Amino acid sequence: MSSKQRIEVRVNGIRHVREVEPRLTLADFLRHDLGLGGTHVGCEHGICGACTVLIDDRSARACLTLAVQADGHEVATVESLRAPESGALHPIQQAFVDAHGLQCGFCTPGFMMTTLELLRGNPDPTEEQIKEALGGNLCRCTGYQSILESVKLAAQRMKPGAPA
Amino acid sequence: MAIEIPTLPEQLPNDAPRHVGKAVNRVEDPALVSGTVEFIDNCVLPGMLHCAILRSPHPHARIVSVDTSAALAADGVVAVLTGEDVRRWCDPVFTAPEGWGNYCMAVDKVRFVGEPVAAVAASSRYLAEDALELIEVEYELLTPVATPEQAMASGAPLVFEERGTNVMLARKYEWGEVDRVFAEADHVVSRRFRWNRVGANPTETFGCICQWDLADGTLTCRGSYQTPRFMGIGRAGSLRLPANRVRIIAQPMGGGFGGKGGPRGTDIAALLSRKAGGRPVKYIEDRMEYLLAGGGQSWDRYYDAALAVKADGTVTGFRVRLVDNQGAGAEGYGTISAAKPLAAFTGNYRIEAAAYDLTLVATNRAPSYPYRGYGPPPHNLVLESLMDCTARELQIDPAELRRRNYIRPEQFPYTVPSGNEYDSGNYGQVLERVLALADYPALRARQAAARAEGRLLGISVVNTVEPGVFDWNAYATVGVPGIGVPEGVKVALDVFGNVTVAVGFNLQGQGQFTVAAQVVADYLGVDMAQVRISTAASDVAMPHFGQGGSRLGVAVTGAILGACEKLKAIFTTVAAHVLQLPADDLVLRNGRIQRRDAPAHGMSLAEIAGLMLTRSDLLPAGVEPCPEATYVWTAPNRNAPDDQGRCRSYLTAAYATHVALVEIDRDTGRVDILDYSIVDDCGTRLNPANVEGQLQGGVAQGVGAALYEEYVYDAQCQPLVSTFVDYLMPTIHEVPMTRKDHFVTPSPVAPLGAKGCGEGAMHTTPAAILCAINDALAPLGKELLETPASPHRVWKLLQEAGSAIANGPTGTRT
Repeated sequence: MSSKQRIEVRVNGIRHVREVEPRLTLADFLRHDLGLGGTHVGCEHGICGACTVLIDDRSARACLTLAVQADGHEVATVESLRAPESGALHPIQQAFVDAHGLQCGFCTPGFMMTTLELLRGNPDPTEEQIKEALGGNLCRCTGYQSILESVKLAAQRMKPGAPA
Repeated sequence: MAIEIPTLPEQLPNDAPRHVGKAVNRVEDPALVSGTVEFIDNCVLPGMLHCAILRSPHPHARIVSVDTSAALAADGVVAVLTGEDVRRWCDPVFTAPEGWGNYCMAVDKVRFVGEPVAAVAASSRYLAEDALELIEVEYELLTPVATPEQAMASGAPLVFEERGTNVMLARKYEWGEVDRVFAEADHVVSRRFRWNRVGANPTETFGCICQWDLADGTLTCRGSYQTPRFMGIGRAGSLRLPANRVRIIAQPMGGGFGGKGGPRGTDIAALLSRKAGGRPVKYIEDRMEYLLAGGGQSWDRYYDAALAVKADGTVTGFRVRLVDNQGAGAEGYGTISAAKPLAAFTGNYRIEAAAYDLTLVATNRAPSYPYRGYGPPPHNLVLESLMDCTARELQIDPAELRRRNYIRPEQFPYTVPSGNEYDSGNYGQVLERVLALADYPALRARQAAARAEGRLLGISVVNTVEPGVFDWNAYATVGVPGIGVPEGVKVALDVFGNVTVAVGFNLQGQGQFTVAAQVVADYLGVDMAQVRISTAASDVAMPHFGQGGSRLGVAVTGAILGACEKLKAIFTTVAAHVLQLPADDLVLRNGRIQRRDAPAHGMSLAEIAGLMLTRSDLLPAGVEPCPEATYVWTAPNRNAPDDQGRCRSYLTAAYATHVALVEIDRDTGRVDILDYSIVDDCGTRLNPANVEGQLQGGVAQGVGAALYEEYVYDAQCQPLVSTFVDYLMPTIHEVPMTRKDHFVTPSPVAPLGAKGCGEGAMHTTPAAILCAINDALAPLGKELLETPASPHRVWKLLQEAGSAIANGPTGTRT
């Protein structure tokens, strides 16, 4: 239908050059063109936050971003968290496991990517700052209490000097 | 051989620290946090097409014509489905009550906004949606039926003409001498309540991939299916296939809560696959489709209810009249939703007589579907609100009124007037603990101080019983075809002693795979890391039901223990033969079949399994080389209902008391939850973290239902809610971080003493919040008897109170 555009985007450190339709969302590009299924789609109108990824280290809704807008940028998805060869979980992932911060797990990639942005900018957030950061992500299962605990645990473990 | 299922964790044959009862990490989680779980939209099949559905913009209209020629000619389009295909190939879906089902797609007329009218299968979802714009549908508009009042008026337009009425079901129950207790009451406390539509809204919407094998007439459906076997039987019915030619493969689900929907989407994708020569067709419902017409609208209810009360506060009778706006059909099994309160009609109380008059009505709203709890959340809101109204009228503290009316510990097992039997409990103990946990006297002091400043603080003390482990027997009197609630597993050891448990359901969030791994590891004396839980497709799985009715944790535990008991018998026979010992001298302990009096003498289960699979020459005669066993569990001791629906329906009766403190903003009507405490008792906590997650998650959904969420329709039955901008889901800012404690009264009748615990907080929280709001409003002489207590509703009451104060006290109630 519409003419395709060439984009060059680095996703989780890997460079991709693709021809895409201008209307293709970044979420669909990541999920279906690149096979990165960890970025989940819950509402497609920017409210639920399940599709949150980092673009140049800033959180963004992959459902409201077009793939062409990512041209020339770096995207990080949940697949970037785990250690590639050993499969060891990132401290944020491990904290969500240990503090039972998920139930169905569908919203979890979005929460974890939002947490990653938060803790990079603020390694020692208060409870209110955590809530402020996570206020744009919906979870229908947990009631958020264990998510709050997960983020606190992750922050504690990721602090410089914390035992590995 | 009668199988005896252990009723307490202590009976598990293991001395090592047990996994059961510990908040062990979930086996589900490493894959979920890695983003590698195969949710349905992550699945891709060779040659797969993508489905998009054209939906009706009208609530009630006759379809004059559908022209799909331009769509069929569009780029990438392989097949188009219309009502004519559906009429030719399908039957309406099963319903309860019977005869109020729809086809998967409108045939002749549309009955609600969002009803499917046509569908396209194309090489991408984008192209499929492009093609929808080329389909021309001509409608002849009909007058919509918007409300139950309109639906029941004489001469009303009919939603289902062939039925001759819009009343789907009218049924009256009477339990005990209701007229007498009301006649003898010192007080009759009655109110009318309105519970507006809310719904499940799992973060993942429904999705499926259907493939119709035209060569052998077999349909395979992968999808986010909550009850796979039930779904398969339904598809066999609607698509006219033999049931053994429908395979349901349940993928992990991004939540469900009963409101996942699925029958319509599955049938449409299946029929498109049939039209597309058998290519697989994927349908992923989007959020707007879910909000308009998915399986996510529940409980559109009008209540008239009353308590009969003696002067000392003893409640003797409870009358409820319910009119339920089911919307355009009963495909979500509306009778169950209305009838489920029979399992705990009178809540925690010794109410001797009760009556229930229920009417299910069809309108042109979307058909309603199950949601967590099914019927009790609105019912308990009514009962608990009336308890609070009674407390205010009699000037008794609401906690004290409840204390006086509780079923006493020595009365268990206790049969409620509506027939169900509660297995065990100690309600007073839980009440006292939560009052201490919340520091109830301090909350009341804080309220008094705030009131003195003119602020509106309110406190509630609300409790409920959660019927757990459901059985279909309860619904036999309301015309529901029983589908059965077996839960079957296969427990298998491999040649190295690793354990695989095959189940019939998949992940939905509650952590049942973890519970299964905990239980089997403890019984067989292996580490959880040696256990794998695997979902079998519906055609080869043991009979199963899956998630629903607060049952699966208990049911899968029973099934695994039953299979393990069978394995123990087989392994003992083999070990006795190999060790040349009488079987009676041998016991299973810590993963070994060993001599009772000399534990060092024995064989590990791994050794026995290995021997069975590799050395048939060493097996005793008649023993199969199969270290595997199956067991299908269902709740014991169920009975048939009498003509008033009375029977032992739900096996377990968990219970909880919540204490909430809220503040109403006088200027805006906004309600904030300032403090929230919970004490519950669901028997043995198989995994305490799972239980707490169920409680807190139920609180969040209860907060949504009580304060924010509502499917709003206008007077023409047009939905005004179609996105999360309109349908307000609670975020981390709105859900209280709760204080929790618990008691453990093991169920005497359930495997390991565990009670169903997935729904109780959803039964309690809406009532707790509304009761706290009404406690806050009490000084103004106002009551809010409608949910959600959104700012505009509260603000209107505040305005009325303000003008009433300005014009002199009137004490009017709304």
